[in-house]
Order: sequence, then C-alpha cells, then structure tokens
Amino acid sequence: MFRKLAFALTAFAVVLTLGATAALAGPSRSAADPGLTETSILLGTTSPLSGSASAYASVARGADAYFKYVNSKGGVLGRKIQNTIVDDAYNPAQTVQATRKLVEQDKVFAIFNALGTEHNEATRDYLNANKVPQLFVASGATKFGSEAGKYPYTIGFQPSYQAEGWVLGKYLARTQGAAKVAVIFQNDDYGKDLLNGLKKGIQRSKVRVVAAEPYEVTAADVQAQVAKLKASGANTFAIFATPKFAIQSYVFASRLNWKPKLTLANAVSSASNIMQLAAEGGTNKVVNGSVSIVFLKDPTDPKWATDATMKLYRQVLKQFAPGANANDVYHVYGMASAWTAVEALKKAGKNLTRAGLVKVVGAMNLSSNPFLLPGIALKTGPTDHFPIEQMLLQRWQKNSWKSFGGLWGYRAA
Amino acid sequence: MTAASRRLLPLVAFAVLAVVVVVVPSFVSGYRAQQLAYVAIYLIAIIGLNILTGYTGQISLGHGAFMAVGGYTTAILMVDYGVKDVWTIPIAALLTGTVGFLFGFPALRLSGLYLALATFAIAVSTPAVIKRFDGFTGGGSGINLFGLPELTASLAPVEILGQELVFNDWLYYLTWTIALVAYVLAWLLLRGRTGLALRAVRDSETAAQSSGVSLPRYKTLAFGVSAAYAGVAGSLFAIATNYVNPDTFPIALSILLLVGVVVGGLGSLVGLIAGAVFIQFLPEWSQQISNSPGAPSVVSGLILIALMFVLPMGVAGLVARLRTLTKR
Repeated sequence: MFRKLAFALTAFAVVLTLGATAALAGPSRSAADPGLTETSILLGTTSPLSGSASAYASVARGADAYFKYVNSKGGVLGRKIQNTIVDDAYNPAQTVQATRKLVEQDKVFAIFNALGTEHNEATRDYLNANKVPQLFVASGATKFGSEAGKYPYTIGFQPSYQAEGWVLGKYLARTQGAAKVAVIFQNDDYGKDLLNGLKKGIQRSKVRVVAAEPYEVTAADVQAQVAKLKASGANTFAIFATPKFAIQSYVFASRLNWKPKLTLANAVSSASNIMQLAAEGGTNKVVNGSVSIVFLKDPTDPKWATDATMKLYRQVLKQFAPGANANDVYHVYGMASAWTAVEALKKAGKNLTRAGLVKVVGAMNLSSNPFLLPGIALKTGPTDHFPIEQMLLQRWQKNSWKSFGGLWGYRAA
Repeated sequence: MTAASRRLLPLVAFAVLAVVVVVVPSFVSGYRAQQLAYVAIYLIAIIGLNILTGYTGQISLGHGAFMAVGGYTTAILMVDYGVKDVWTIPIAALLTGTVGFLFGFPALRLSGLYLALATFAIAVSTPAVIKRFDGFTGGGSGINLFGLPELTASLAPVEILGQELVFNDWLYYLTWTIALVAYVLAWLLLRGRTGLALRAVRDSETAAQSSGVSLPRYKTLAFGVSAAYAGVAGSLFAIATNYVNPDTFPIALSILLLVGVVVGGLGSLVGLIAGAVFIQFLPEWSQQISNSPGAPSVVSGLILIALMFVLPMGVAGLVARLRTLTKR
C-alpha cells in the first residue's frame, strides 16, 4: 500500500511540476541597458580567488584598486565604476554559474577582464547571445581575438600566445643560425598556441624544432619530458609552461646537467619572483641568459623606480588594496586593463550603451597605455580583437630582466 | 503520535516538499531558480552516494568521475549524434550505472580506506583520461552545448505541454522532477529487503554473509545504482552548464559530494536536501563573509568544521533527535 502511495505521490509531483508553468511570464526588456544609472556603471569579473590558480587573483585586485582610484577622482563622466568580483575557483562550470549570476541577478553592464582560457570560452556564447560585452579577456588564447566576426562582443587584451611564440621564433631565426629547439608545452590551447606561433616564426629559416613534449596541467612533475628533450640533442630549450612547471623544467634541466645554449621562457611564467625561484639562488645556469617577452612595466625593474605611473601604481595599491604585494606584476596587468576600460568608457560617452562600448573597443587606437612599456599601442579593428600586439624581448641577467632591442609587432592574420 | 500517523509522516512530508518545489519559482528570481536547479543536481548525486557510502558502508571519493561519465555522455550524444537533451539522461544513467557496476568487482577486494583511495585515484585520473582522448571529448577546450538551440534550452524558451518556459525555470522543473523521482526510488529501494541487506553489509560483512547476504551481489548493486545516480546528476550538470571540460569535474567535486552526504546525514534520506543546499551555496556564503584572495576557501573550511561540531550526525541526526523528543 505504501508503495502505491509513493508512486501516486511521485506522479502527482510530476504532473504538478509540468502543469504549474502557466503562471510564468516572459522576461521584460527596458529601454536602457542593464547595470547603468546616471551615477554608476556596474562591471562584473570572475576570478580564481580560491583554488589552485589563486595567484592570478591579483589581476582582479589590481584592476579593482584602479577603479576605486578613478572613482575617488570623480569617476568616468560623472559615473562611478562598481566592479563586482566573483570567485570561480578556476573551474569553468563555476565560471558559467558566476557569469550568469552577474548578468541575470546583479545585472552588470559588462563582464570585464574575466580570467582563464577555458573559463572565458565557456561563457563566450552566452555573453554574445545576450549581447553583454566580454571586455579584455584575461587570456592570450588566439581565439578570443581572431574570431571577432563570430563573437563581436568578445575582445582580448594581452598579446596572443601565438604572437608571443612568433616573436620568440623570429628572434631565433634572426640570431641563432641553425638552432635546434626542444619545446616543453602544456597540453592545452595555451601551450599549443605558443608552439604554433614559434613554428610560424621560424618558417623559412634554418632553425628547427627537433622535439616537442607535452605535459598535462594535472601532472605531478615534468622530469620525464625534460629528460627526453635533453636526449633529442637540441641546443635551445623553449619552456611554454605555467609557473610551477616552468620552475620544474629549469630545475630538472640543471639536475640532468643539460646545458642548452639558450632558453626561452613565456610571459605567463617569467615574472621575476618565479625566475628567482627557478634560479635556485643563482646556482642554476640554465636560467641565466633566458629570453622572454615583456609588455608590462615590471614593478621590480629599477628602471621604473622613478616612473610617474609606477609611483601612482604603488600609491593606488597601498590606498585601495592594502596588504597587496606591489612587486606582483599581475597587479600591473589588472591596472593596465582597468586603465584601458576607463579610456573606452570615456570614449563611449555619456550616452553609454553596450553596443556603443563594443563599437569603441572594436575600433581602438590608443598610442600608449601608461602601465605598458613606452611605445606599445592599443589598436583593434573589425577582424582584429587583439588590443596589444607589440612587445619587447628581455634577457635574464644578474637576477633581473633587462629588455633589449626595439619593439616587435605581430599582426593577426 | 500513533503508529499509523508515524508511518504516514514521511509521505506527508514528501507531499509538502513536492508542493514547495512546485511553487518556489513563482517567488524567486530566474537566477535563484537556476541555483536551486543545481541543488537538485547535487541532491541526485548525493542520494546515490549515500546509497553506497551511507547505507552500504563503501566510501567513494570518486563520484565526481561518475558525474563526468554522465556529463560527457550527454555532451557527446548531443553534439556528435544530435540526440535531444532529455533523451540523453536515461542513456547516461544506464552507461554510468554499467561503469559503476563493473567498478564494483575490483572494489570487492578493497575495503575501507583502501577503497576510498582507489576511488580517489579514479577522480584524480579522470581529467587526464578525458584530455587523452581529445578527438572524442574535445580535450581541454571541452564541449560547448550552447550553440544547439534545437537540442537544449539555452536562450530560446522551451515549449512543454503548450507552455513556454524560459531556460532557468525549465531547468528548475526538469532537475527537480528527476530529483523527486530519484528520491522516491531510493526510498523504495532502501526500505525493503535490499535496504536491509545493504545495511547488513555495512554493519558487519561476516554477519551479513552468514545470514545469506551475497556480498558480491549487493556491493556491485550498490555501486551500479550509486553510479547511475551520479550519471544522471552529471548529465543534468552538463545540460545546466551548457558546457563540459575536464576541469568542470575536478577532484574537489568528488570531495564536495561526500561533504554533502555527511552534512545531510550518512545512512538517511531525510537531511540530504540540506546537504545539497549546503554544497551549492557554501561558496557563495563564504564569499559574502570575505572576498579577499584565498579567503573563501578558508571560510568554507571553518564553516564545515563548526558544522561537524554542532551536528556530528548531519542534519538527519538533528531530525532524529527532534523525533525522539516528540515521542516522549
């Protein structure tokens, strides 16, 4: 009898759930875009505040401090910028939920500088379909800039990983003769984009990639890969890895007594503090003379000690993000993107709309950004949603980076 | 309280629950409805985990992996074979149930902590295995279901029985309907002979065997049923998120599910909704307390420790205590 009752109740529940839908009304649309009042603009950011990638949280923190500074000076055309940061624990499923919360519940005007490749990919269709700007994606995956036609509301920020690999490849082609390159790369879009860029850069030169070993981001270490790469007989070692694995690559290469003539590092893991760890107190010779690219002003570089922007940077952090480590370059990254957002909002004018803002960031032509290296311009076009496409090469010498040569530019094909 | 009314109480409680579930969307925003849909998804998964861990005494730290099997089954069926979302759910249940049933055989040789470790290993290796077969699973970039409006709701409203439903409400009713059915099925399974046999296995394998309970039969059954539940949850998770990639089923998910079962109450169905609510909303609550980098996870941990001190037997323990009070 109880079984029958239970079935009856379940059936009842099913019928009710299916039937109780009559009362539902469709969504209503108002004239002005969401997240906007006469005195405020609401932006939303997803960031790994917790979890394995929480080091990247400094990006959002730096940007937030800069917005607060701008607000203290009166905001943008009378509007104060409110930036809601939501934790996604570096899990794309949580990014989707957090982004829907920002769009549907908090009703943000735009998503700003959300961090992570897969994380932005997971929300890209949703944001474009809802016509919510996905501003300055904090990832260098090539697809965020190259698919502007299909995803007009999405725009990248930093040089694409492909551009970075290309510049490193061109540098090899021009200076290293018949170099034999061994590459360790992370087995995802990030690592593959870097590798493809490098291969493009060395086309029609004598430089050859003689070995390329992938590793999984979930792996414990990369010792086996480094050993294989050493055995390939290469004289150039390219490390396209995230910080933890980049440090391991340097350390294992040194342990295995491999002495490549030149080592290439990628920007994501070549912050000074990471290089210092890899250098093992100066005993690791593989680190010495490493070449990497740079586009941000490095807060640890003595060259910028008296730079007005970097002085402002330290002051803003101190005032609006107390306790933040000013030597962490990710804060500079956040401020550089926040600065660009402020410029774009200014240009979009008092009659701000989502479509208007997207138009502005899709036709950007800024000759400089004070948080970026002098001379680096921010330019975009209808088929080119890569704002930053210029960078400098730098070399690791005597425990710090020294930039050399002129600017390298890369136009998206 | 008379004996008859005590027997009727669960049914009345369930009927009240069903009514509450039906009317809730009229009072909450679309986004809240979506969050509650995730509660239903976690509920399904932790009912399944409770059958295995709470009733049969087999600790699993790998249910996130079973969810991944369900989620990927749905995503691949939709993208590669054009199957409509709801029809992928039973297939995901069947497939994941089979995987769980098969895993039950090697698991027979392991018990206690060793089984926990073995299941944990599955959870750890799942993301790497998914990436390894990237032609099939999309690798690290995952599978996006958003561009398939004809197969699943994403932006366009869904029409059911002549009613137009927006995505959030549709998702809510879909997940809760399945969750309530899953709840009743679990109750039916556990109240009779099978439930008794499972509990006997948990309490003493030797005693169970000497009373004629076949260990292989009931342990593999528990694994199969439990995994099928996780498969359904994973399938709904993919439909709700419109996206799967290896990182959407991390090790943390498996642990979170176990947390949900413990908070709800091991070996009881009463408190599981509280467990599901807990694991869905804990990140949000802890972020409201502090949003500085790294802080949410510390706050989550502290809340959990505090909760285990206050409610060592989970919410079900609290309910049981209240019942004994009313009996007097």
